[in-house]
Amino acid sequence: MSALLEVEGVVRSFGSIHAVDGASFAVEQGSITSLIGPNGAGKSTLFNVISGFVRADAGRVLLDGSAIERRPAHAIAQAGLVRTFQTARVLARMTVRDNVLLATPEHPGERLLQSIVRPRRVRGRERAARALSDELLTLVGLQDHADALASTLSGGQRKLLDFARALMARPRLLLLDEPMAGVNPTLRVQLLEHVRERREREGVTFLIVEHDLELVMRVSDLVVVMNEGRVIASGAPASVSADPRVVDAYLGAPP
Amino acid sequence: MSTIASGDFWAFVGVVAGIYALLGLGIQLEFGFAGLLNFGHVAFMAIGAYTMAILVVKLGWSMWIATPLAVVAAAAAGVALGLPTLRLRADYFAIATIAFSEIVRYVATNEETLTGGSQGTINLAGAGQAASYNGDWDRFESWVQSTLRLGSKDAAMLAIVWLVALASCTALWAAGRTPWGRVLRGIREDEDVVSSLGKNVFAFRLQALAVGSALAGLAGCFYAWQFSFFSPADFAPLLTFFAWMIVILGGLGRFFAVPVGAVVFGVLFAGTRFFDFAPFAWFDSAERAYLRLMLIGLAIIGLILFRPQGVLGRREELVLD
Amino acid sequence: MFLQLVANGLVTGAVVAIAALGVSLVYGILGFVNFAYGDVMTFGAFVAVLFDGRLGMAMIVAAVLAMVATAILSLGLEGVLWRPLRARRAGFMSLFLASIGLALVLRQAIFLVAGPQPRSYDVDPYKVYVLGSVRLSGAQVVAVAVAAVAIVTVALVLRVTSVGRTMRAVADDRALAAVSGIDTGRVIGVTWILCGLIAGLAGVLSALVQGSFDPNFGFSLLLPVFAAVVLGGIGSAYGALLGGLVLGLATEVSTWSGFHGGVNPVYKPVVAFAVLIAVLLLRPQGLLGRARTL
Repeated sequence: MSALLEVEGVVRSFGSIHAVDGASFAVEQGSITSLIGPNGAGKSTLFNVISGFVRADAGRVLLDGSAIERRPAHAIAQAGLVRTFQTARVLARMTVRDNVLLATPEHPGERLLQSIVRPRRVRGRERAARALSDELLTLVGLQDHADALASTLSGGQRKLLDFARALMARPRLLLLDEPMAGVNPTLRVQLLEHVRERREREGVTFLIVEHDLELVMRVSDLVVVMNEGRVIASGAPASVSADPRVVDAYLGAPP
Repeated sequence: MSTIASGDFWAFVGVVAGIYALLGLGIQLEFGFAGLLNFGHVAFMAIGAYTMAILVVKLGWSMWIATPLAVVAAAAAGVALGLPTLRLRADYFAIATIAFSEIVRYVATNEETLTGGSQGTINLAGAGQAASYNGDWDRFESWVQSTLRLGSKDAAMLAIVWLVALASCTALWAAGRTPWGRVLRGIREDEDVVSSLGKNVFAFRLQALAVGSALAGLAGCFYAWQFSFFSPADFAPLLTFFAWMIVILGGLGRFFAVPVGAVVFGVLFAGTRFFDFAPFAWFDSAERAYLRLMLIGLAIIGLILFRPQGVLGRREELVLD
Repeated sequence: MFLQLVANGLVTGAVVAIAALGVSLVYGILGFVNFAYGDVMTFGAFVAVLFDGRLGMAMIVAAVLAMVATAILSLGLEGVLWRPLRARRAGFMSLFLASIGLALVLRQAIFLVAGPQPRSYDVDPYKVYVLGSVRLSGAQVVAVAVAAVAIVTVALVLRVTSVGRTMRAVADDRALAAVSGIDTGRVIGVTWILCGLIAGLAGVLSALVQGSFDPNFGFSLLLPVFAAVVLGGIGSAYGALLGGLVLGLATEVSTWSGFHGGVNPVYKPVVAFAVLIAVLLLRPQGLLGRARTL
């Protein structure tokens, strides 16, 4: 299998802080890859660079062989790389269902002219999208909240909505930014199952930033460890957890 | 001196309210939906009015061709403003729009050969001639008056303006319910999320700005027809502010709240003219105008303090942060 | 001719700079763009006219009284408007809109009380200082000198005094400052007093330089002032000063005939706006501001 995502020597600084200092790794197609590291290792910044929200100072990011480091965030998402945010950012004053529907890719109705000129085609696509959104909401257990405003959801529910919404965008590669943070253990297991299931059924590749190491080791095919802006180790969970550099990074890192 | 029962006076108030409703609809789309702080809205009104007047007077074109072109010109100006400035943060964008509207007013005041200069459109045909662009419009108005069997031309104007305003309102409401409208609302909520889902936020904002500016241009044309001539001073920033007030008064995020806000505002503003009791009685009529504007300023402050969701809005759907 | 334009530019620039300083402080410490600032300046100018004209006091006394009155007004507004809004957790948009309403109220109140006729200060309009090929009126010299002194004073206050240091801390990170035990309420009060003093002074100086002014003049100054703030870097006090000077120079010097005949002087405000838009496009963080990150 070829690498779906290749990160090569990415550098990004903020003033005198070298948030990412030459990070390189690859994510294989169809894998579940985890990105771990102590706080301040640069994981979130790297996520932002990969997804196009922050411009790298140097280095390359390749999605399926094409360089994406200079593309705007929305173009990268259209190419199949979708991300969630660390704090689940729901569209508060819209309904749960609208949150998911918004993610519908290539909806002709989003061109105002199409809505006017070809209403039937738009309505048809909208119906299909609604069916799919209902499916996804049922998958994450939010179907009863479909018509409620997203602001009424609890923290854990918002994470689930974030997840369902990201899936709606039909990603090839889904970047999950701390999907388990603030989520109770039962929900964690559920989310994990969803991730596995998506990988099996739809072949979605996952890159996950997580702090729950036990979970990471259980589910990942590949673990990439960052510290102080660099990748210090990458490999199968077992080998990484035994790697002395990794142990060092976690023990020596500030709390 | 009009009395409180004078039909002509209230017809006039109604027309002005209708024009403001059109202006307000543009702002509702731009801010209530797309989250844009456009404080230069009046510039597009001016561009619409001047384009129409110039095409009719200087090129002799029919109003029926000049008006759609004027609306397109206003939309194009909106795109021209948006292209460089939409990437800015909300309050920076607001300042840029104000600067733009002042530039437009400045150019209109100083380019006499093009716009008639500070004396206004009466100058458009050159010195010594009183220019008029109302020919086609007067004929249309008379036609409407006789077809609908209305009592006066003012009534016809009132009917036309409100027909257009309500039609625009309905069209916008329908557009707001499309997937396009959904993306705009999403942008208002959290543009990063919308980007992360593959939508080109910039392009959507530009479209909202174009449509909003087109509506302002149309409002400008109605303004031109109502007053028969206008000058750059008519398009002062105060008008943008009134339009904003109307939208906030009615309630952000709902298109049908705009005509309601416009009527309430119009009635209040015009109605206060008849206040003969204290403290109004203490001032002469020129001073009362200042007092009324003061009260409007206080009203908007009060709205933001006590009922930011407006008359028709709901607390949970509060758009003002 | 060129030097004259430079001199004029420095005068305009100095006055814009001092006004921009006030706007920048409000933005940096209180977190919003105060659209009423121009009308607060107008208030100061008119209070000075009251004392200078009607009561025949010396210009200096009138100016000081105007500054004090403006400071009191600013503090009053904090109690009546800004604090209640902050208590309702109003964000920068609400504050911005409220400041627009306030601008309207202030301006109309001044119209109501003082009337629409233009005013001017009781100063000798024929006094001219000549320096080589440059001629400056008495008003211009006073304006630039006072502005310079005021700027240095404010800079010292911010840098050296403890209250100044806490103001800078709050500007840097309000949440952190509150948690570090800084009495943000007191800092905010001091900020309004300082900005009120500055606005009053800026109003008087601008009116002095302009010669004749009516209740609309403060608002018409507001856009060049915003341009200066953005040019210098919003939130940076030194940036506001630099922005003001650069803007003043740019507007005046742009009319120099050496630049292809120069810009028509009537379009000077347009130059200011054009500079503003250009800065917003090319370097939105301004000359001295910090680039924003995600």
